[in-house]
Amino acid sequence: MVVICPKCKIKLKIEDSKLTEKGTRFKCPKCSTTLLVKKPITQAAKPVDNLKILVAHSNQSIISIIESILKAEGYRIITANDGIEAMVKAVKEMPFLLILEVSLPKIFGFEVCKRLRLRPETKNMKYILVSSVHDDKRYRRQPESLYEADDYIEEHNLQELLLDSVKKLRGYVKEPGKKETITEKPANIPAEEKIKVEHKPETILEQKQVQPQLSEMAERAKRLARAIVSDIYLYNTPKAEEAIKNNTFFSVFAAELREGQKLYDNRIPQEVRIQKDFFKETIEEFIENKKKNL
Amino acid sequence: MSFINYSSREINCKIVYYGPGLCGKTTNLQFIYRRTNPEQKGKLISLATETERTLFFDFLPLALGDIKGFKIRFHLYTVPGQVFYAASRKLILKGVDGVVFVADSQIERTESNIESLEDLKINLSEQGYDLDKLPFAMQYNKRDLPNIVPVADLEKLLNYRKVPSFEAVAVTGKGVFETLKAVAKQVLFELKKHY
Repeated sequence: MVVICPKCKIKLKIEDSKLTEKGTRFKCPKCSTTLLVKKPITQAAKPVDNLKILVAHSNQSIISIIESILKAEGYRIITANDGIEAMVKAVKEMPFLLILEVSLPKIFGFEVCKRLRLRPETKNMKYILVSSVHDDKRYRRQPESLYEADDYIEEHNLQELLLDSVKKLRGYVKEPGKKETITEKPANIPAEEKIKVEHKPETILEQKQVQPQLSEMAERAKRLARAIVSDIYLYNTPKAEEAIKNNTFFSVFAAELREGQKLYDNRIPQEVRIQKDFFKETIEEFIENKKKNL
Repeated sequence: MSFINYSSREINCKIVYYGPGLCGKTTNLQFIYRRTNPEQKGKLISLATETERTLFFDFLPLALGDIKGFKIRFHLYTVPGQVFYAASRKLILKGVDGVVFVADSQIERTESNIESLEDLKINLSEQGYDLDKLPFAMQYNKRDLPNIVPVADLEKLLNYRKVPSFEAVAVTGKGVFETLKAVAKQVLFELKKHY
């Protein structure tokens, strides 16, 4: 099992036979921090709450409008004012539906949607993106192409469309509050490896403050990588499609990717880069997605 | 920073069109060039290398009255849009007096817009400029396409400074001069403060 020392960020390989469910203490050879490493246990995934809805919006009055529409129908509403709060609450509270503002502060709504779709415990949740009022009706776009969300509603249509959309996404039109008829199979997923670190209280506090920053920075790293690869694609579409089909994207665009990597290394702090190779991962994801559509 | 030519009694100002790849920066400049009086403009110069094919180096004066007997000459530049040509973009920003950010309104370019704006901030700060203090205008281009982001959302995503912003269809010229005028006005205002 490989764990990352939360203090100096080096990767430590620990033999599985040395681990117990109660936890075993190890000392980081580099910074001497004591780590309490527990054997990962397999837990059943928490099922989603079929009456709970997370509403994330930067404007309190829009939250109030959505709350009043849904509370009258018996739904329990939890709220968030930015993308990070929405991500944390989605995992903790397990709502069956997230209603996200497109341009949510800290992490944009469409990015929250994309990221939660990648996590096994949240990928089956439903997502509605709420956007501002569009200027011209003929420009209304189809929701399915909107960053993997299930539906898309403009603010001025909330009263009219929200309730129907929520009911549709619940999979049935039964009034909430009555006995549930839907049975969902919770998928068995392995629990994340838990690491406990013995620290002074102030260090723990410091770590809590650093955590969201790191996750924001990881998102920034992925966004930069996506911008790089989508530019390569945009400027060389026929050649790129051919390369994706032939599984030769990395060799055909080696020079461009090298330039991109240079910029990425220059812009993304080392502590984020050592977490994971977000650059390569994002490009592979991009290729996979394009492959499906070719 | 504007450059003063005493022999021709001209103040030269530099305006840079910034934005993600293929957003319409060059189209903006070409339209302005076509619609400007031939006597008022210099040559439209394109510097394209093998790889940085969108790198244009444009030069264009517009008559805008004078400041204390000095005529104002605007030099308009575009930058290569592809994200990894950051070094060229940084170079072009040297001595900038005003920036136009051309955003691509298409939904699939949302992240590229955000990334390009971030890149602009970084490149400016590396040259000692602060985007928050520079004359700045925003243009939401390609409004004629069907898959576009509502203006209100683009405003929230990109226009944190609440600078003048314009919807545009640069190929037809819609919004092009409005954007240029908005940034030119701010540049002139700054000049008048100093001269």
